[in-house]
Amino acid sequence: MANIATQRIQREFSEVTKSDESQKNLISIELVNNSLSDLRGYISGPPDTPYEGGIFHLDIKIPETYPFNPPKVRFLTKIWHPNISSVTGAICLDILKDQWAAAMTIRTVLLSLQALLSGAEPDDPQDAVVAKQYKDSYEMFKLTAKHWTSVYAMTGFDKWRYPDFDYKIQRLMEIMKVDEDRARVALSSNNWDLEKATQSLLS
Amino acid sequence: MKVKIKSWRGVAVWKWIANDDNCGICRNGFDGCCPDCKMPGDECPLVWGQCSHCFHIHCIMKWLNSQNVHQLCPMCRQEWKFKE
Repeated sequence: MANIATQRIQREFSEVTKSDESQKNLISIELVNNSLSDLRGYISGPPDTPYEGGIFHLDIKIPETYPFNPPKVRFLTKIWHPNISSVTGAICLDILKDQWAAAMTIRTVLLSLQALLSGAEPDDPQDAVVAKQYKDSYEMFKLTAKHWTSVYAMTGFDKWRYPDFDYKIQRLMEIMKVDEDRARVALSSNNWDLEKATQSLLS
Repeated sequence: MKVKIKSWRGVAVWKWIANDDNCGICRNGFDGCCPDCKMPGDECPLVWGQCSHCFHIHCIMKWLNSQNVHQLCPMCRQEWKFKE
């Protein structure tokens, strides 16, 4: 890595650790494989959103040309959000693309991602299926996102449960002999209509 | 009493007068230099934009050269123009 990238990441590391947000356990970062170009980020789901209570893991790759080019960030934790791919975790956020500026930092990126969880941009989607649900049946979107949060982003016993969803997932797994994740995606993508979800797996 | 000064030695300190402590690009202090230089001072000067943001000249040049379309200030994203 270039001099400037290495030095900056080292500084940013202590900046994040010392920040208010980190003290309150809202964001954190750590090294992967002891390489400064490979980081793991964590953000907590903002209050009063379907992501509340969840901890979301992020894969952060620092390019050779950092900070002149943005870090490459994607969600490792599965999430149901219009601007994040439910399949790959790829993020659609302008500051990670053409709106990046060299004065931005890992800390500001993590805070921007938290802001994205609080306010989605369904007209600029990364996941068209989620975005359509967000626009057409917002209540269904909220329940689905909350369900995904409790399944993938929460540990412990305070998980939120929605028996209807659990039942349908079990049914679809039995009917179609698919694993739980595939059944969940099929149902989520079809507004939890068991029949439509079955058909989508057949086609 | 009459004092005769036979010799004297001047000592001075210098400091950049900037509205920030750190360069927003490399995050090093303005009293230090950019990561590619060894000595702070004339070798690694600061420059100001018309937006009043200030950076090491080596850092802002690298940023501007990495921008293909618009040349914007890395802080406020106004069009970058060097302050005369």
